[in-house]
Amino acid sequence: MTIRREVPHTLAGAYALDALTDRDRARFERHLAGCDACRQEAASLREAAARLPAASAVQPPGRLRGQVLAEVARTRQQPPFTADRPAGPGAGRRAVRWRAPRMAVAIVGGCMLVALVLGGLFIDTQHRLSQEQAHGRAIAAVLNAPDATIMSAAAAAGGTATVVMSHRDRALVLTTARLPALPAGRRYQVWLMGSHRARAAGMLPMPRQGMTAPMVVSGLAAGDAVALTVESASGASSPSSAPVVMIVLPS
Amino acid sequence: MTEGQPGLWPPPAGGSDLAALLARVARGDQAAFATVYDHAATQVFGLVLRVVRDPAQSEEVTQEVMLEVWRTASRFDPHRGSAMAWLMTVAHRRAVDRVRSGLAAAQREARAAFVEPDYDVVAEEVETRLDAQRVRRCLDSLTDLQRESVTLAYYGGYTYREVAGLLGVAVGTVKTRMRDGLIRLRDCLGAGL
Repeated sequence: MTIRREVPHTLAGAYALDALTDRDRARFERHLAGCDACRQEAASLREAAARLPAASAVQPPGRLRGQVLAEVARTRQQPPFTADRPAGPGAGRRAVRWRAPRMAVAIVGGCMLVALVLGGLFIDTQHRLSQEQAHGRAIAAVLNAPDATIMSAAAAAGGTATVVMSHRDRALVLTTARLPALPAGRRYQVWLMGSHRARAAGMLPMPRQGMTAPMVVSGLAAGDAVALTVESASGASSPSSAPVVMIVLPS
Repeated sequence: MTEGQPGLWPPPAGGSDLAALLARVARGDQAAFATVYDHAATQVFGLVLRVVRDPAQSEEVTQEVMLEVWRTASRFDPHRGSAMAWLMTVAHRRAVDRVRSGLAAAQREARAAFVEPDYDVVAEEVETRLDAQRVRRCLDSLTDLQRESVTLAYYGGYTYREVAGLLGVAVGTVKTRMRDGLIRLRDCLGAGL
């Protein structure tokens, strides 16, 4: 990932939205250091982005205030930056970064993100592009839904399934990571398990680098669970074996 | 959610009072910090909840944000931007850090049980509601791709490359849409002030 040969300034929007990796951000901040106009624009876009939370204000639990104030009373403050050290809102962030092992991002936690990106990367023709775009939009709709909820479950035989679901959209996005590979002729099939019967929801995409591209499942009903079973590659009309993993969706 | 907090939101025009409060916080003034908390808590928590989704984790992150504000208030520079933008940047980066590095923890907790958030959406105060409406109206004035790029990055915590992947759009296009989308948002919000 390099931005060296690109016009760095086009990253001003992504910078203001914190949509850069640490490395890209460090590079962009070096660029800002040498460009007054860019710094000004970046600051103005930052102000614009910072207005967004006004539309999503939520009262935190009342107890939080007391906890925070008690914690503050016993927390030492940092001294001001000296003139030759850059000040900025990112101060203090590094500590958080280091606490989480980077590998976790790639392996466990990032499975959803990485799979989502992989899903968008394999585009070869214009036809495919528009399909991918519609698919991407469907995913974005679920992820953006105000009631979107993330759930994940480990499969007994290894691997995980992760779901982002929205009741409002009656849809979910499913990805999996590191599920056991299946013999030729066998595939994972996705089911919506209602209280009375299981509805076939399609075949899980073939994994790439151990992860499956995000799959949109629509037609959710209250009380559904999403489950994966191993079936013949052509799919079954009802599950022929116990699910390898099942996620009970909140109703 | 019933413990009422003083109705100090929204901050006075220009937010200069909030900046002055932060200067007092930087000198260790805990009462000033409590006032900053009351000013900003609903926006910080709402933002974190929107990004992190999990209510329990969102409380943790909100607490981290507030402690970071306390610890680093001396580093807020009013010449570089408004106090609110500084606060929201601290909050947003913390939230994004959590979703980019902490999905493992989310999975652990989500497996136990998901509790539907039962929080009061702050909409009682007229000024708050007007401000929220203005932001929504300005978001609506963006093109679909601008809005999707901005909101996937801001609320989804995705990098611009990930957003490009999600939308099936070239990386360069997403970068540009994020920038011109925010410019449009800035101009729309500025005009509405």
